[in-house]
Amino acid sequence: MTDILILLLRRLRTPIITLIVVYAIAVIGLALMPGVDPEGRPWRMTLFDAFYVMSYTATTIGFGEVPYPYSYAQRLWMTVSIYLTVIGWAYTLGSVFGLARHPAFRAALGRHRFEARVRRMTDPFFIVCGYGQSGRKLVAALDEIGFATVVLETDPERARAHLVLDTRQPSALLIADARGPDILEAAGIRRPNCAGVVALTSGDEINQSIAIGARVLSREVQVLARVKSPGARETLEAIGDVFVVNPFETFAVNLGMALAQPDVLRLEDWLSGVPGAKPPPRIEAPRGHWVIAGYGRFGHSVAAALGAAGLSHKAIDIDRSHCGEEGILGSALAEEVLRKAGIEEAAGIVAATDVDANNLAIVNTARRLKRRLFVVIRQNLAGNRSLIEAARADMEFVQSVVMTHESVQLLTTPLLNRFLLLARRQNGVWAVGVAGRIRDTVGDQVPHTWAIECDASLLGVRHALEELPEPPLALSHLLMDPDDRLRALKAVPLLLLSNGRDVLLPDEHTPLRPGDRILFAGEAGVEGLQRRTLADDGAIDYLRTGRDPPRTWLGRWLMARQDAAASGRTA
Amino acid sequence: MNLEKVIFGAFVILSFTLNFGFFIGEIDNPKHHHELELAATLVVNLIAMTLKFGDRTHIGAIHLATSLVAVIQLLAASVVWMWATQVARMPTEGEVMATVVSLSGGALAANFISVALMIGETLRRTR
Repeated sequence: MTDILILLLRRLRTPIITLIVVYAIAVIGLALMPGVDPEGRPWRMTLFDAFYVMSYTATTIGFGEVPYPYSYAQRLWMTVSIYLTVIGWAYTLGSVFGLARHPAFRAALGRHRFEARVRRMTDPFFIVCGYGQSGRKLVAALDEIGFATVVLETDPERARAHLVLDTRQPSALLIADARGPDILEAAGIRRPNCAGVVALTSGDEINQSIAIGARVLSREVQVLARVKSPGARETLEAIGDVFVVNPFETFAVNLGMALAQPDVLRLEDWLSGVPGAKPPPRIEAPRGHWVIAGYGRFGHSVAAALGAAGLSHKAIDIDRSHCGEEGILGSALAEEVLRKAGIEEAAGIVAATDVDANNLAIVNTARRLKRRLFVVIRQNLAGNRSLIEAARADMEFVQSVVMTHESVQLLTTPLLNRFLLLARRQNGVWAVGVAGRIRDTVGDQVPHTWAIECDASLLGVRHALEELPEPPLALSHLLMDPDDRLRALKAVPLLLLSNGRDVLLPDEHTPLRPGDRILFAGEAGVEGLQRRTLADDGAIDYLRTGRDPPRTWLGRWLMARQDAAASGRTA
Repeated sequence: MNLEKVIFGAFVILSFTLNFGFFIGEIDNPKHHHELELAATLVVNLIAMTLKFGDRTHIGAIHLATSLVAVIQLLAASVVWMWATQVARMPTEGEVMATVVSLSGGALAANFISVALMIGETLRRTR
């Protein structure tokens, strides 16, 4: 604030001095003018009277001639003063308002407000750079989970959407280029509660430099960047410790799984869906010939996935530079072009152009030419939702959805991401088994997933894992209700990360060690009970032994006496 | 020679000299202290204070602080004078004049510091 005040005062120096001088001339002059009181004696105003008269005259309030009617000399001086002071005020107020409307001043004020809002954030928050479709979705998703957000966007037009944003957690926006290190610092990257930086701007180079800047400024925060070119990915991977997400590749991986491991894909969709929602359908993409309409970057990623699965495919594009050698040049809207690409014997079609209406039209034409088709459609603009829904596609690619999904998973539940990567190496039977266990536990809905860490700073963990009482703390104890150990908690341990070793679906009797991290899937509320267990040495002792330990000094003393008596009797 | 420095210096010294002029004389004798001189001191001090706005250096902050003190003291003196003569209708001789002049004496001290600061800063610059 002081910076703005200094700026204001410096710019207003001349108007203020003008006003002081004008007032001084008017007041002192008026006090010197000879006047006459009602009894006819010569009279002069005191300085205070003159100041009072000038105060109401200069501000055009005008109470009249106070305290006595004026002499002509006084009126003459008043006439001069009125013009002088009114001009003085007009000049000063004009300068003040001009400065207040000045873009630089407003920017300084906005920046100050933004920094104050960031400073007031006490909970973990994410910095989201770029407020396009993906940025908006990500902010909403992070807000839903309970994270505050700080948004950086260069385009005032896009930033306007943030004004009407209704969030539960605080969210601050600054119109600025996140490539500037000072901007990232203003956004709070060095603050201890900054959880991560996500670069979602439109350009690969911009995202790349934001990610590098963020990494340099803070070694602790998580950094995620969206890049669409292999070059940018390589650069960022060379820096290390940066999550790189290419939405096209992510979708291509999913398509590959739909072709090869539909059950694993279903498990993945299920675990990463919105908790409480209906489980997603099992998607199995058919093997056979595929037609790709629109051979841009997305089309190429899909083609690579199909190629990796060993399937034949033909691509269509109207742009010669996209088409290359192997593609067909032409509009996929035309029937003969689709025929040429082999639609009549195709198993699936990917409508991947960057115009939503065209994608819908391509799907309709293709369906007319071939009855049973597996349809993958791309949605480009968020506003065209109904168009894409009308296509009733088997798989949809919406960049902002894929991006949000992937970012939230990587940033907020890294352990789930690790589990899913490991799951991809398993077979369909394994995946069906896991899905069955989850269904038995939480029913036919998407479970909550969470990670529990055996953090030795928690009282219960310290007691159980450092004093090493018998029997030792095991995973099964985390699956019991700390209020009633006979009641099982509705949760399935999916992954145990112990000493850098991954254990998929760990056994219940696995003893826990300090620093272990466990991924659970289960009902809402179980996480809270588990955290309570780990924070309470009494609860841990109860779960281990089945006996509620005495909590007071007197109770412990009595208990020790009883134990001694009991052992004495047996001995 | 820098015109801004000349104006700045002139106002700082003028604040001091006018203040001194008003202050000097028997402390409770109204004949030795003219009201217009007090008014002029106040005006010049206000201008000097405005001129000091916007300097971010440490010495600039102290400069501004001394002016603030002087202005507050002079405003207090003016209000006391106004109140005594116009509201309480007391004679200016004696107690009232002594209060006004001693308040302006405080402002004089602040103005003296201001001048000393300016001289000190100037000497440091040239050396």
